[in-house]
Amino acid sequence: MDESIILLIVLSLCLGAGCWLIFIWAVKKGEFDDVEKPKHRMLDDD
Amino acid sequence: MTTPAVHSCHHCGISFRWDPVETDPAEGDRLEFCCRGCLGAFRLICSAGLGKFYQRDVRSMPTVTPDSSGQFNDEELVRHVTPDGEFCRLDILVGGISCPSCIWLLERMISRIDGVADVSISYAGGIASVVFDPARSAPSEIFATISSLGFSPRPFSPALSDLEVRRERNDLLLRFGTALFLTMQLMAYSYSLYAGYFQGMGSGIKSVLQYASCIVATPVVFYCGWPFLEGAWQSLRSRRPGMDLLIAVGALTAWIYSTWALFSLQETYYESAAMIVTFVLLGRLLELSVRRTAMSGIESLYAAVVSRATLVEKSGHRDVPADDIRPGDLLLVRQGERFPVDCLVLDGETEIDQSLVTGESLPVLASPGSDVRAGCINVASPVTVQALRAVGHSYLMRVAALVRMAQAGKPSLQRLSDRIAGWFVPAVILLAILVCIGHYYVAGQGIGRALMVSLSVVLIACPCAMGLAVPAAVLAACSRSASLGIILRSGDVIERLAAVQCAFFDKTGTVTMGQPRVTGFSSAGCLSERDVLAAAASVEHQAAHPLARAIVGYAAEQGELPGGCMNFTITPGRGVSGQTEGGHQVLCGSRSFLEGRGVSLAGSREVGALQDTEVLVAIDGCLAGCFLLSDQIRPGSSSLVATLVSKGIELRLVSGDAQPVVDRIAFTIGIAAALGDMTPDQKLALVHDAQNRGRRVLMVGDGVNDAPALAAAYVSCSLTGSSDIALENADVIIAGDDVTRLATAYRISRSTMIVIRQNLAWAFLYNIVGIPLAVSGYLTPVYAAIAMTASSLLVSLNSLRLMRISHHG
Repeated sequence: MDESIILLIVLSLCLGAGCWLIFIWAVKKGEFDDVEKPKHRMLDDD
Repeated sequence: MTTPAVHSCHHCGISFRWDPVETDPAEGDRLEFCCRGCLGAFRLICSAGLGKFYQRDVRSMPTVTPDSSGQFNDEELVRHVTPDGEFCRLDILVGGISCPSCIWLLERMISRIDGVADVSISYAGGIASVVFDPARSAPSEIFATISSLGFSPRPFSPALSDLEVRRERNDLLLRFGTALFLTMQLMAYSYSLYAGYFQGMGSGIKSVLQYASCIVATPVVFYCGWPFLEGAWQSLRSRRPGMDLLIAVGALTAWIYSTWALFSLQETYYESAAMIVTFVLLGRLLELSVRRTAMSGIESLYAAVVSRATLVEKSGHRDVPADDIRPGDLLLVRQGERFPVDCLVLDGETEIDQSLVTGESLPVLASPGSDVRAGCINVASPVTVQALRAVGHSYLMRVAALVRMAQAGKPSLQRLSDRIAGWFVPAVILLAILVCIGHYYVAGQGIGRALMVSLSVVLIACPCAMGLAVPAAVLAACSRSASLGIILRSGDVIERLAAVQCAFFDKTGTVTMGQPRVTGFSSAGCLSERDVLAAAASVEHQAAHPLARAIVGYAAEQGELPGGCMNFTITPGRGVSGQTEGGHQVLCGSRSFLEGRGVSLAGSREVGALQDTEVLVAIDGCLAGCFLLSDQIRPGSSSLVATLVSKGIELRLVSGDAQPVVDRIAFTIGIAAALGDMTPDQKLALVHDAQNRGRRVLMVGDGVNDAPALAAAYVSCSLTGSSDIALENADVIIAGDDVTRLATAYRISRSTMIVIRQNLAWAFLYNIVGIPLAVSGYLTPVYAAIAMTASSLLVSLNSLRLMRISHHG
């Protein structure tokens, strides 16, 4: 019982950590630098 | 007429024609300066033993690197110092400002430096404008003070500002993202623990969950919450309690208590510690977005500032940062590029797009000798230009500086809430301690319970909302105004404009265009209308007089473009004469001018209307035609008057023109009271008189003759086309020709005051309800954290409503 809970905790931490790493990568890549422009981009011609 | 000699300032290098300020003969060589400020800066440099600054090639000077961690020396900083009256001004971008309390602290500490006359920090950009006496304090001292408080000062330049904001935002985003991820994990354990608390749980599992909580909560407090811990430490060291201290105390108390509880097998509250940090980070992130949105008005100006430029040297072209351009440098501006600084075209002919600077949508021709302002776009072909001013002194940057100063100014309401925040924090911490003692000793509860209650008190009392109430509204209002073409000189203008009771309007240039237009043209009969127009336009084209421009403009509308003209002479105030390409001798001017040249005016009829000006044309000594010109009423004047009258504001038209003319204009636009034949003194007396009767006066004017009245009035307003002295004295500056923007400015100021009152009322109400609840122990720390954040959010969002005010309606 205890072992399975520890296992699940570790598993959820690993899953979360995966998402967290993707998030860090996105911030570093400048994905959040300008949240205004992209929503207007589809209206541009080119 | 002799033109005054051109002088060149020894410090800033600008060329000027007025009398120079000179060094004392005792100081050695006689040197010329454009103003006392530059002389002051020069003395500062020399007294610091850095006189060799003036011999060095400034372009080879090292640029200040952002990583020099507060180690700045005067030699580098002096480049960023600009003169301001008798003092010097230094703009500093301060990194690490996270809340209104930081600004309060910085302003307090900087103003304590000996020699600092004024300091104001813009909440929007985190930019400190420090005015100081160069004889008593050095820029490095100011920088050292800022960095000793834990902030990172940088000399201000636009490109850096953008980077700084982005860096701060990314840092905050990383901390918040991490906190969110860990807190979500933590909540899973916490809910299990809550369930276990009520339904029973094996001690083994409970320990596992508690240890897991500890593992995820610790980085939240010490990594994500680091900015608060750092801020708290700084505020302790400088003995200036701020918001960060309150948050740090809350989070640390919860964490330390929980860690103690973990080892003594009691209930832990790690989720409280983590949630405080997460929620406050979210608040900060949103606050930063508000600041960014509010800054957008200024950013559109900064965006036009180019960061690199092509320098022309003997050895060829070189790419340099725009900051390094000195007056006198030769630059190449290619097709499609923006002009980096105000400059003079030396070689090449092109068309430039001035839309950003003047609002003029059609490109205009620029040829050698033309002045071009920074921010214009070179549309047609490459030109070589000479820089007239450094980047920081360009017209564009002056306007941007004006807007920024407006944002830094605070209404008196703001000073009130600043004062409150100053004693509020120590009071809250004291209350929390008392509550803890009360619950532990007097009510006899467990130490854990007592600590939790005092924790709630600390959290609920965070004066975020109170600190945000005024600046957020002022920021949103200034930014919205700027994007509607209304520049507010300072934040308190909003408060004053909203309280205006009567308004005095100058006539010429304010309710009228201030420029004559041709209202009628008739030919005397001996020549065709087109021939007369063409001849008059050719001669008048050479003159710069407003009447001449109006005639040329009228001829162009009729399809007659000016031709060549020889032997042009001008008799000031009377008329002009010249010879057309066809060999005809043309005279244009007043009745007496033509009569004086022997032209017979028999048969021409006198015009009676007072507001009209007459220009007669004679060709080869014979009267050929007559133009009638008059000043046109500005479109929108009537609707502005109607709007202001409907708000219950008493209006008057005052003018130096003759009474009948003023009466007619007043009647046309709907102003009931009109006063003509007013001298500048009488206008001033009129304003004083009204104000002595307790009326709050808005003065709208544009000319030199309005300046005293503008300066004396409770609020004053000018249009961008006005004389410099009028602009200097105006609190509200309206860009472009649309006077109805004044009505919009009035509406914005009224709405802003309403929003400010709502915000302050909410902040006080929240504390009045929240603190007793927390003291009595009904509010757990988690709810306190949520309530505090929600309250800050509400105030920010309420202020953002001001951004939706439109120009019409």
